[in-house]
Amino acid sequence: MRMLVLTGIALTAGSAASLAAIALVELVSLLNTGLLVAPKARVQWESLPWLVATTTVLVPTLGGLIVGLVHKHLSPAQRPLGPPDVIEAVQFHRPLPGLRSGLVSTGTAALSLGAGASVGQYGPMVYLGAIFGSFAHRLRLGVPNLASIAIGCGVAAAISTAFNAPIAGVLFAHEVVLRHYATRAFAPVTVASVTGYVIANVIFERPALFRIESPGITHGYEFALVAVLGLVVAMAAILFMRLLLAVGPTLARWIKWPELRTAMAGLAVGLTALALPDVLGIGTSTLRFATIDGAFGLGEVIVLICAKTVLTALCIGAGFSGGAFSPSLLIGSLIGVFFWTLASGVAGVPSSGAAIYAISGMMGFASAVIGAPLTCILIVFELTRNYDVTIAAMVAVVFSNLLSHRAFGRSLFDVQLARRGIDFSLGRDRAHFAALKVVDYLQPDAVTAAAEDAAQDVSDRLQARGWREAFVLDTDGTLVGVFTPGAQGTATRVGSDVGPARLVFHDTTDLAEAMERLRGFVGDAVPVVSQENGTYLGAVSEADLVSAWLDEGVRLRREENAAI
Amino acid sequence: MRRSDFVSLCLLVAAPVAAEDLTVVSWGGAYEAAQRHAIIDPYARQTGQTVTVAEYDGSWAALEARGAEDGWDVIDMLSDQARVACARGLLLEMTPRSLFSSETLEDFTPFGPDRCAVPQNAYARVMAFDDRAFAGVKPTRIEDFFDTDRFPGPRAIQRSPDGILEWALLAEGVPPEQVYGLLSTDRGLRLAFRKLGTIRDDIIWWEDPAEPADMLADGRAVMAAGFNGRFFDIAQRGRAPIDIVWDGRIIGIEVWAIAASTKAPDAARAFIVHATQPASMARFATQIPYGPTRVSAFNRIGINPQTGVPMRAYLPNAPQHGGRALVRDSGWYANTDKLRQRRFSKWLDWAE
Repeated sequence: MRMLVLTGIALTAGSAASLAAIALVELVSLLNTGLLVAPKARVQWESLPWLVATTTVLVPTLGGLIVGLVHKHLSPAQRPLGPPDVIEAVQFHRPLPGLRSGLVSTGTAALSLGAGASVGQYGPMVYLGAIFGSFAHRLRLGVPNLASIAIGCGVAAAISTAFNAPIAGVLFAHEVVLRHYATRAFAPVTVASVTGYVIANVIFERPALFRIESPGITHGYEFALVAVLGLVVAMAAILFMRLLLAVGPTLARWIKWPELRTAMAGLAVGLTALALPDVLGIGTSTLRFATIDGAFGLGEVIVLICAKTVLTALCIGAGFSGGAFSPSLLIGSLIGVFFWTLASGVAGVPSSGAAIYAISGMMGFASAVIGAPLTCILIVFELTRNYDVTIAAMVAVVFSNLLSHRAFGRSLFDVQLARRGIDFSLGRDRAHFAALKVVDYLQPDAVTAAAEDAAQDVSDRLQARGWREAFVLDTDGTLVGVFTPGAQGTATRVGSDVGPARLVFHDTTDLAEAMERLRGFVGDAVPVVSQENGTYLGAVSEADLVSAWLDEGVRLRREENAAI
Repeated sequence: MRRSDFVSLCLLVAAPVAAEDLTVVSWGGAYEAAQRHAIIDPYARQTGQTVTVAEYDGSWAALEARGAEDGWDVIDMLSDQARVACARGLLLEMTPRSLFSSETLEDFTPFGPDRCAVPQNAYARVMAFDDRAFAGVKPTRIEDFFDTDRFPGPRAIQRSPDGILEWALLAEGVPPEQVYGLLSTDRGLRLAFRKLGTIRDDIIWWEDPAEPADMLADGRAVMAAGFNGRFFDIAQRGRAPIDIVWDGRIIGIEVWAIAASTKAPDAARAFIVHATQPASMARFATQIPYGPTRVSAFNRIGINPQTGVPMRAYLPNAPQHGGRALVRDSGWYANTDKLRQRRFSKWLDWAE
């Protein structure tokens, strides 16, 4: 029965997400043509240069203004949604941010991409896939964690459709979103991914978004070069991500109205595009040029790398709706070209051509940004079906990840989540324990006392409830200390026998931190006070915390090892 | 003939068109002779109409200048010329749905009729080589056209940017679906001309479409870019062992259109419906290697009556050819004419 439910969910979420992804791509391409963003549309008006120049500046600017206004007035979330929101929902089995925010975000993504903003399409696609999966949240079909699995299905199908890469789709859903490989999730996600592939390839016969034909690698030492390239792109990726994270808050300080921020970013894109049309939009043609030997001069490629990095950080930071993955592919491949030009053109090392370096750089950079090395390696394999190229890209990807993980974090998404207080840097377990607050485990019958209470009374009350310590409060309800009967002798008032509390938790203390601090603690309960004013909120027993820890651990193990 | 087509044909023919006469305009030569034999004469016999055939140079300008005066009704055009003519109001608009059933509309390939034009046949710009020039390995890909080390010798190329720019990018490894997008950028044009520059010392230019086949035949060139029909003609008449490489073929579509000034719109429509029957297309394609634009016509193509050659293998859009194929983007061609000419002349100045 569960098998049927899971297969049904996988097929439904998979096909819906795949069709929606195709629709999004089509809509963006339609807008790109209509708004003179696509080179093929621009060139047809080549006889009217003023028209092309005007639209180049106006389209992204007005697009930005509309995107900003729509977010402000129509979206309850007031911002574009993306993979971090999906990861959060899936990991903590919460519903996604409201459907309306999601739809608005998808709409503004289509507009942002259509108007040529320097953002990517895969983030919105992943979110769109997740929306279809999240409808399962409302179903009661008796399968634990069904909603998370269904969202994984939608995400896998979207990626599989976008890249014509079903294996990469499966891996992406597990590596980035689900973060475990339980059969209960793996099986339906695979079914959904294949569904996406079938819809894109067999039914619609769509070409892959990026097709690469590569001759392979002729010199053994090129693997070493590619490893160095991996380190280079990692450094660039770290710079890019830091810039991206810094731009948002800085802009928010400078410009008060959010719609003006996006309009300003759009204007920057438009003005740059007057001289450098390659920065407009997803840059499919620029990505293609990167695989052609000598398509860019050295100076040109440096300018383009800088421009694309800054504009992408600016567009995403300012609030355009769109992802960082496609721009990462582009910037990474340009860095690959730059590296190849230096190695083969300037240093004169014989090589097997720009394409290998462009692909390795592309995937090294992108894997550092999305934190999905396996997915990136598989995307290359499925796009090129070339073993040599995949191995080269793999080398670049691991070296890039080594550095970026150490110096920045596992991915842009994880760092964004960490800033929201969800820290995956020590793994999934740690993040889950950190999501549980000790304040939710307060014991209602913990004994409190005032300083002037009679020691004997308090002692009797403690005995009656089976506790050994009472928490002494002053008249404001602030914790003063702990009273343990019989510890000091025979005081008559509690006040004269108050010892300091050996361990105090705050209302912000989470389970992971609490367990860490409980090491070496002897006693039956720990008082919890408000971080703000020190007011006593209650006490948690050590036994309750240990149970909570064990329960959550068991739940996670169950989820990660569920058969069906 | 499908029943639905037959019904629509009958309806159109039975209308009060019986007495009307029709002027069909085409290109002359072997092409027109094949059209007469396969399409025009059977139509005249079936309807009893008198069909006059006029000749023109294929441009929309000629249609504008002579169409009304000479009483042109149905015109054979290149699809990009038809697109311009349509935009200029020189063509009579029609509703494809009223002429053809939905099954028929789906049968058209690579695209169906639009408001001004109905696809009638496909020709291709292909690469051909003189088999005598390469004793061992023969060229098989567009890349080989630009590889003068492995395949030395002069290349015959049209003195125009048409076709050769597409080939230059295909030879750089650009997939067909991205070729026109990339050629729309300054960088793409630069790369294409750079590729063309690598063979500039081996280029021999032609201007008349009949030349490339002759150049191969008399040894002035070892490879040539030209139209498949011309190469077929020379090869089949036994004048030279010319072989066609189908990889990188650029397929162009010929359409039927109706002059806006026509006095016999009903007869013109009836003629077009007749001319685009699978049987008519197949008859035409057995005469001359211009492929049908309907899928169902491919199964009917047989032996050329003059040479006895089975024709299916020589049609540019035959499904059995492997390799890369590009459908000429007529909208793009129509709008980038000046730009391409300008860049091409600039390149010529540099190259010569």
